[in-house]
Amino acid sequence: MLTMKLVSSDSECMARLAAGDGNALRELYQRHGRALLRFSSAMCRSRQAAEDMVHDTFVALMREPVSFDPGQGTVFGYLCGVLRHRVSRHFRQQKRWVALDMDNDSSPVHASDAHSPADEIARSEITAAFRRAMLELPLQHREIIALCDLEELPYTTVAGILDCPVGTVRSRLHRARALLTIRLASLELIDLESEPPFAHRGLS
Amino acid sequence: MTIQDPHPHLALLLKQYARDLAQSAPSSHLDARIDHLVAGHLQISAPVPLQRRRRVAFYAAAAAFAALAIGAGIFIGMRLEQSRAGFAAAQTGAHDTLWPSADLTMWPTDSVLFKIPAEYSAKGTLVAVDPDSKHGSTRYWIDVVVSNDGTFRIEQVVPAYSTQKNGGHDGVAP
Repeated sequence: MLTMKLVSSDSECMARLAAGDGNALRELYQRHGRALLRFSSAMCRSRQAAEDMVHDTFVALMREPVSFDPGQGTVFGYLCGVLRHRVSRHFRQQKRWVALDMDNDSSPVHASDAHSPADEIARSEITAAFRRAMLELPLQHREIIALCDLEELPYTTVAGILDCPVGTVRSRLHRARALLTIRLASLELIDLESEPPFAHRGLS
Repeated sequence: MTIQDPHPHLALLLKQYARDLAQSAPSSHLDARIDHLVAGHLQISAPVPLQRRRRVAFYAAAAAFAALAIGAGIFIGMRLEQSRAGFAAAQTGAHDTLWPSADLTMWPTDSVLFKIPAEYSAKGTLVAVDPDSKHGSTRYWIDVVVSNDGTFRIEQVVPAYSTQKNGGHDGVAP
């Protein structure tokens, strides 16, 4: 019931935005901005780039609110789709440049939050290594893990976002997990033979 | 194809990474950018006052009229230029018929041949001499043709003895 109310509220916001009400954009940002930033942070190397992608997504939404079709999915799914295209374009453009130091941008948290406890956790060795392994995955595998495993969205929603069948989502997720597992095993973060070694570190 | 659960180690790492990501909130800078975006959208979509709309319509009409006037001026100028060029071309053609070229004269060309007696001077040049004077040195006849178109030319220079054999000269031979 709550979900139905939220969906209808999102649709109302989109209708208000299409009618020229800018405050509807702010409401949508307050509702979905955080989740979009999580997705964007999982996809982008730097926090600044992730925030730029979220900002660009809302700019695109403001410019063309009428391009949203309620019959094709939720507003959040639509926003994820827009963000995904922005991220994809961002990486296409980035191929023309050579990063001087990628380690400086590997942290998922903002520089201004550098002294928070959450930052201490994010900067831990294991999380940083896991993040590097994630960023080394191809874009389509990275996004499927971000949507299915990190955001825990249903496969049907992910299929709508990626504009592909549910079967493709499943097969792509299977392959992405396998690639990530192999990569983490090569970094000795995963021992494929034994029990999880992280229980004693408080990560279970 | 059925999807399998991820490896237990991978599931743990994914969960931990998801928790880390969930703890990061949008920065104040991003919030400010979105606020700026919303403010700009409100400004764009705000209704324009009627007086301002009238003023804009007035300026638009004035600009359109000015553009029309400039276009008409350019068109009229081009037409005038073309007609003037045509008139000048006609004038030039008429001028050509009034003033024919040099080889088409109004009068038939006529010429007169003068035979001038001459002798070599001390400077080595031929100078005209009195035909009745005594010969100081070898005498020559210089045939000069003078035409009525204002030109003259030296036709030939011959020794005087050859003409004397033909009966002599009176100095003028038409």
